[in-house]
Amino acid sequence: MTGRTTPFDHATRMTEPAPTPTIVQDADERVSTRDQIREERAARALHLRDRRTVFIVVPVIMLLIVGLGAMLSASSVVAIRETGDHLFYIKRQIIWVGLGLASLVIFSKVPYRWYRTFALPIFLVAVIGLLATLVVGDVRGGARRWIEVGPLTIQASEFAKIATIILLSAVLAKKERLLDRFPHFILPVVTILGVVSGLLLLQPDFGTALLIGVSAFAVLLASSAPLGFLVGLGGVGGALAVAGAFAMDYRRDRITGFLDPFADPLGTGHQAVQSLVALGTGGLFGVGLGASRARWSFLPNAHTDFIFAIIGEETGFIGAMLVIVLFAVFAAVGIRIALTAPDTFGRLLAVGIVSWLTFQALVNIGGVVAVLPITGVPLPFVSSGGNAMIVSLGAVGMLINISRSSGVESVSP
Amino acid sequence: MRRPQFRFGDLRVVALGLVFVLAWGGIGYRLFRVQGANAAELAQLGFDQRLRHEQIEAKRGTIYDRDGVELAVTIYGSSLAADPSLVEEPARAAAALAPVVDADYVEMVTRLEGDGRFVYLARGLEHDVAEEARRIIEEEDLVGFIFEEEPLRIYPSGALAAPVIGLTRLDDGSGVEGIEAVMDTELAGRPGKRIVERDRAGRAIPQAEFLLEPSVPGSDVVLTLDRELQYAAERSLQAGIDRTDAIGGAVVAIDPRTGEILAMVSLPSFDGSDRSQLDPATIRNRAISDVFEPGSTLKAVTVAAALEEGIVRPDTPFETPREIEISGETYSDHGYNPPVMTVSDIVAKSSNVGTIQIQRRLGNEAHYRYLDAFGLGRTASIDFQGEATGRLEHVTDWCGPACGASAAIGYGIGATPLQMAEIYATLANDGEWVEPHIVSEIIAPDGSSLVTEPRRREVVSADTARTIRSMLRGVVERGTGRRAALDDFPVGGKTGTTNKFNVESGEYSDTDTIAWFIGIAPIDDPAIVVAVVLDTPRGELPDGTDLQFGGASAAPIFAEIAETALHQLGVAPTHDADG
Repeated sequence: MTGRTTPFDHATRMTEPAPTPTIVQDADERVSTRDQIREERAARALHLRDRRTVFIVVPVIMLLIVGLGAMLSASSVVAIRETGDHLFYIKRQIIWVGLGLASLVIFSKVPYRWYRTFALPIFLVAVIGLLATLVVGDVRGGARRWIEVGPLTIQASEFAKIATIILLSAVLAKKERLLDRFPHFILPVVTILGVVSGLLLLQPDFGTALLIGVSAFAVLLASSAPLGFLVGLGGVGGALAVAGAFAMDYRRDRITGFLDPFADPLGTGHQAVQSLVALGTGGLFGVGLGASRARWSFLPNAHTDFIFAIIGEETGFIGAMLVIVLFAVFAAVGIRIALTAPDTFGRLLAVGIVSWLTFQALVNIGGVVAVLPITGVPLPFVSSGGNAMIVSLGAVGMLINISRSSGVESVSP
Repeated sequence: MRRPQFRFGDLRVVALGLVFVLAWGGIGYRLFRVQGANAAELAQLGFDQRLRHEQIEAKRGTIYDRDGVELAVTIYGSSLAADPSLVEEPARAAAALAPVVDADYVEMVTRLEGDGRFVYLARGLEHDVAEEARRIIEEEDLVGFIFEEEPLRIYPSGALAAPVIGLTRLDDGSGVEGIEAVMDTELAGRPGKRIVERDRAGRAIPQAEFLLEPSVPGSDVVLTLDRELQYAAERSLQAGIDRTDAIGGAVVAIDPRTGEILAMVSLPSFDGSDRSQLDPATIRNRAISDVFEPGSTLKAVTVAAALEEGIVRPDTPFETPREIEISGETYSDHGYNPPVMTVSDIVAKSSNVGTIQIQRRLGNEAHYRYLDAFGLGRTASIDFQGEATGRLEHVTDWCGPACGASAAIGYGIGATPLQMAEIYATLANDGEWVEPHIVSEIIAPDGSSLVTEPRRREVVSADTARTIRSMLRGVVERGTGRRAALDDFPVGGKTGTTNKFNVESGEYSDTDTIAWFIGIAPIDDPAIVVAVVLDTPRGELPDGTDLQFGGASAAPIFAEIAETALHQLGVAPTHDADG
């Protein structure tokens, strides 16, 4: 350990009353008092850990509830048309949320340092998954993104997100002292991101590739890499992303549709316009639960990528703002966990997880409110999707574990 | 107490957190712009694409016969439609559904394989058929099918009086033929208005409907038709058509005292509930739209005019040579007649020569006045759509004596079966014309009703009418109309046979005839007038009587119908069997 002060001390300093006069009386007493203080601190740390856990879990649970509520309405029309059972998607989503919560609990118990040890194998599994997707994957909507295994659909790209963040965090933590040398900085970054992005672009899944790139950049930002390197890498990466965005017709359409959706409201601007119409229809207080109009075949993907528009329509600005506040709280608490992480790996991992989920939510909602182009990424914790639910709630479990480890670390001798 | 050591990376992580919070703030601001400041404008766009101002169909009124039996009634049927983009196996679905809804399999598959998101597969399904289709859709696990409720006009009595009752259009339910058309305004009611929100495929969004104005249901229409008599008349006419191999025929039965049309038959007919085999020739109501030369049946008018003018008496004798030439046209009688005949005999034996002699004494001017007064050349009733006026040229356009002679025996004049029934009804009602009508009452949804009060006017005196009636009795008892006689009632009437006039060639046919019989029963106290006409009857009876003649083909039909009518009307037999 670097011997740095943990935020525990900081917190103690803030809350501890003025030093009691008993502390300096004699050595024995001092010792026993130290033990007392140690115990006290341990108890406080436990309390604090729990409080921090609550701060990260509560927004997530609330988002899950909001998501299920919105799903009930948003998916009912498409569910009844496709399957005849208007509860079809909500039933599935409830199962996924259950599995996701199980994943959250399990990963909150797994010591996060294990990921550092197994970072490379985990990453290799993800790469194999992506390769398998390209070989035996199912083509839907022109992209090969899913593997069908019996009744299950595996989306390897969801797993690749966390695997990449873990490996990058592990490598950067290991090279902490070497990152001011450019080759040590650039080689692992380019290799890891190159492999993952390459495989994702072959599907093609530009949105996920972009998301992983941006999350990786956040991890680099939290590392000891010099700012100059980051600016250079950011510039090159940004240029590549822009080039990639204009490389395919449908992505270009999404960008033109984003720049002026009302120029072609039935074509490139269709989703953006319908999404804005749904939000506008909701107004400040919403049209009421289950009263969404947009879901009646006006807004495509109402229960997946555009579920936020349904939330905004049914519960208005008030409800939509609640979702935004919950995500903002999640981001703030997540960053706090990163700052209090006991080691560099935990800190980088926490930054990676928080950044990934926050960027994904920003990109999704940004698309819905038409301040960003539509990328087709789901809204974490809210949109329909089993793989995403299990992986993202698992990642929250990892955050909780990092958060809990911080206090314990500081009181151990 | 150590101060927390500041680490280089912390600032960047804090900055990252700040960026996140600011980004969410930005999104929140944008959200406020969209949902607050610009909400109304965006919501309006949504309304524009969803809201439809729609009409609420008013329930169409029912058509009843005189006893309150439903002849045409609107029920709510179902339409089967589909969203082809959701239908997975068009062939399997069509194989299961097409037979149930009586649709063509190939046609259904074609529709299900189409590109649209909404196609009708079968419309106007009755309740049990729709239920069966629903059951099959569930059983076969078919996806993408939709049922829509819509009003359905059904005719519980099938083909009964179909050309009279008419038809409604399938698309908007408005009447296009018969009573449905004439009474359309009354039957239709007033549609209401509502605002409905519809999805992109045009399907109504549940729980999003606003009523602006309720619909007012249509009025019910009660007809003067007697369902039992109508049925009997149709059966008798059909039997007559079958016997004589005629192209078609018509019957009009009127209560002469009230002008009520008790039966009106036009054959061949159709069933308004079964639209698959509709043919314009069967939809046409021949009783009001077909114009025939009345022939000898019009002699009653010639003689009535002469009697009323005091020119002749029943026993006034006329010389009746075999032939008579008027302005170069030669007229003769069928069969053998004595050289001198009384007016009564002339009517009984239907002598052309004798009738022309009477007309010559009457003169064209007076003759025309009576033809006009009896109702020829104009529509008889306001209750029909497409009623023909017939053909009666104004006397100043007549070609002189030859036209008068032709008119005397019912040539050169065109009349519908209804007009001829109207003339005989006037004679039966002691010379008082009563406006023929088929709508007796219009009952509004609030229960108020409008009862038809027919117009009346005197055409000839009661004396003249009675005299003519006794002559008509002679026609049945000793003249050309013996086959019209009934066992229990004294009957009077007149036969008529004209060579069919071919409008296209402008010539009379040598072979085809129009056969008439118009009769009154009982002749001494008239309760019913029945006009029967057959278009192109053929063949002979076993005794060699040519069925082309009205006395042979039409008179027996009259007898059957009149007998049923008198029983139906509860008229007690007055005629002693040997009288």
